[in-house]
Amino acid sequence: MTQLHDRVAHQQVRGPVLNRSRPLGALALVVAAGLLVLSMAIALGVGSVPVPVPDVLAVVARRLGLGEFGVTVIDDRLIWQLRMPRVLGAAAVGAALAICGAVLQSITRNDLADPYLLGISGGAAVGAVTVIVLGVSFAGLAGSAAVGAAAFAGALAALVLVLALATGPGGSLPPARTVLAGVAVGQACAAYTSFLVLMTGDSHAARRVLTWTLGSVAGVRWDSAIILAVVAVAATLLALTAGRKLDAFAFGEVSATSLGINVTRLRWTLLCGTALVTACVVAFAGMIGFVGLVVPHMVRILTGPGHRLLLPMSALAGGLILVWADLLARSLVDGREIPLGVVTGVVGAPFFAFLLRRHREAG
Amino acid sequence: MVSRPVRPFTHRNTASKTVRAAVLGAAAVLVLASCAGEPESEKKAADPGDAYPVEVTSCGHTSTIEARPTKAITLNQGATEVVLALGLSDRLAGTAYLDDEIPEKWRAAYDAVPVLSDEYPTNEELVAADPDFLYASYGSAFTPEVAGTQTDLDEKGTASYLSPFGCEDKTQRPEPSFEAVWDEIDAVAKALGDPAAAEQFRDTQQAQLDELATTAAGEGLTVFWYDGGDKTPTVGAGGGGPQLVLDAVKATNIFADLDGGWNEGNWESVIAADPDVIVFADAAWSTAEEKIAYLRGDPVLSQLTAVQDEAFVTIPFSESTPGVRLVDGAVGVSEQLEKLAANR
Repeated sequence: MTQLHDRVAHQQVRGPVLNRSRPLGALALVVAAGLLVLSMAIALGVGSVPVPVPDVLAVVARRLGLGEFGVTVIDDRLIWQLRMPRVLGAAAVGAALAICGAVLQSITRNDLADPYLLGISGGAAVGAVTVIVLGVSFAGLAGSAAVGAAAFAGALAALVLVLALATGPGGSLPPARTVLAGVAVGQACAAYTSFLVLMTGDSHAARRVLTWTLGSVAGVRWDSAIILAVVAVAATLLALTAGRKLDAFAFGEVSATSLGINVTRLRWTLLCGTALVTACVVAFAGMIGFVGLVVPHMVRILTGPGHRLLLPMSALAGGLILVWADLLARSLVDGREIPLGVVTGVVGAPFFAFLLRRHREAG
Repeated sequence: MVSRPVRPFTHRNTASKTVRAAVLGAAAVLVLASCAGEPESEKKAADPGDAYPVEVTSCGHTSTIEARPTKAITLNQGATEVVLALGLSDRLAGTAYLDDEIPEKWRAAYDAVPVLSDEYPTNEELVAADPDFLYASYGSAFTPEVAGTQTDLDEKGTASYLSPFGCEDKTQRPEPSFEAVWDEIDAVAKALGDPAAAEQFRDTQQAQLDELATTAAGEGLTVFWYDGGDKTPTVGAGGGGPQLVLDAVKATNIFADLDGGWNEGNWESVIAADPDVIVFADAAWSTAEEKIAYLRGDPVLSQLTAVQDEAFVTIPFSESTPGVRLVDGAVGVSEQLEKLAANR
């Protein structure tokens, strides 16, 4: 008996640090937000073209209306028109993907759920590859704008298909069936894209498809950065309003229902909501793996499963990780950019393995 | 801070604080972005003596070149080679993205121009290089990840031209032909301020083609154009560079009825056609040697008449794409066919 008691006490001590006190949780959020802002500032100073720190500051100060500072057009374009939106976009994309991953893992009660779960990746790829390989215009657009628009449309089409396949009697969405429907649609989409790339694409188009698949925020400009920021903030807000319901969900559907939660409605709202957010991200930044799948797990190790801390912390951590991943992507190799998906995988996976191991030893 | 009624389920404070901070942050960014504009840049004045400003149009986009470019940048090998073929490399401030080697005849001029990157330079590097004219072979160069869209570039005062063969919208691409190649060269020469160079280039190539037509080295020969692949071969099809080369030497392509420049063929058709000659495209990713070895090693394909007779012709892959070197490819094929005929 004492042994058991000891074990329980032991586990409580070694459990997630931040779950034990509210002030500590708040402090962690402030620290994470501070780190994110600091990282974004650092990222603004680093790029494939070196710009001295005083010049970076001068560009920002001038844009804030603090004076002229003899800023050159080139510096302004580099710092304010390329890097600033890019850094902001990276943070927004990371936050949006992490929050979607966290919500989807809870709602499907599946540790392997990621933002591309509901056929999003497959559907988006069908749209993007069709435009890239067949060279068709889409929605009156051509080129990269058409690729983004087609990816968004493809993602939504796949989502509708997955939901149609997964919906059970009475409009319920059984999680296992939803995941499997996503797999089925994903496989069909993958077959189509492979067929298209191999049968009609030249090597240049195939390269472009591969690059798109691995994601990048290099193309994010102010207009898209603002859209992404709004999407990320809105996603975090909306997820937070459902935070307590998600907590109840952790104990299973029956418990959630007994707590007065409309399970079916919640599932529909959150599945569709996260899918929309992910489709937006894919349209602007392509497919970026790892963040949505792993960041929530990393954060959970720190915060425990409570959503009111897990969700904002995931958003901040996701943003933080993607800002750094993008910084590495554009500075590791001289004169070339490494796809973002490669960086998140190469750097993120060992870090996650380390965290997992630490967690096992501690728990 | 505004005081609010206390909610029954507490613990919302941290969350809503974060949310508020995030909203404020986003709002701040929105305000900031619309504050000061871009600093004034110096405009180059046109020299009243020359033809500028000139306009060049491709893929539905018209770009105005205000003055003779002195800091032009070419992206993709095809674009670089057009400028080299025109002998206008003194207008270049940089080149980028080679698929394979630059031919010997242009090597010295090419080496004199800085190479910005093995592939596409980053968008920051392109901004820092401050080009006055950007010329690319593929639409992928004019994406936000690389140079930005052509419309964005216009706003920044940088003229640009995309090869018509690289239009993002495939319906805007011309049918591959020597005329279409020369039209692109005309536009580039006009943009760079030396239309006479294009005329001279066109005359030279036309004369070469006339000679090839007279020689007709491929007359009466069926040809299998083997580009790559083993389980199924990628073959020179009926609507692109390989077909133009074969037409120029009056040879017959066994896969002429397939669409596009290159396409997936199949070995059964090759065996049924039993071609007189096999043309091998030589590229770093699929060398002619590899392909010859594959044909010789296969129990069935090694029985083809052309393999038994070693009726092989090899040309660099880059001389089989519609561009300035396509005529060189045709000349090469013609010469090798004559040699094969002499040995027979």
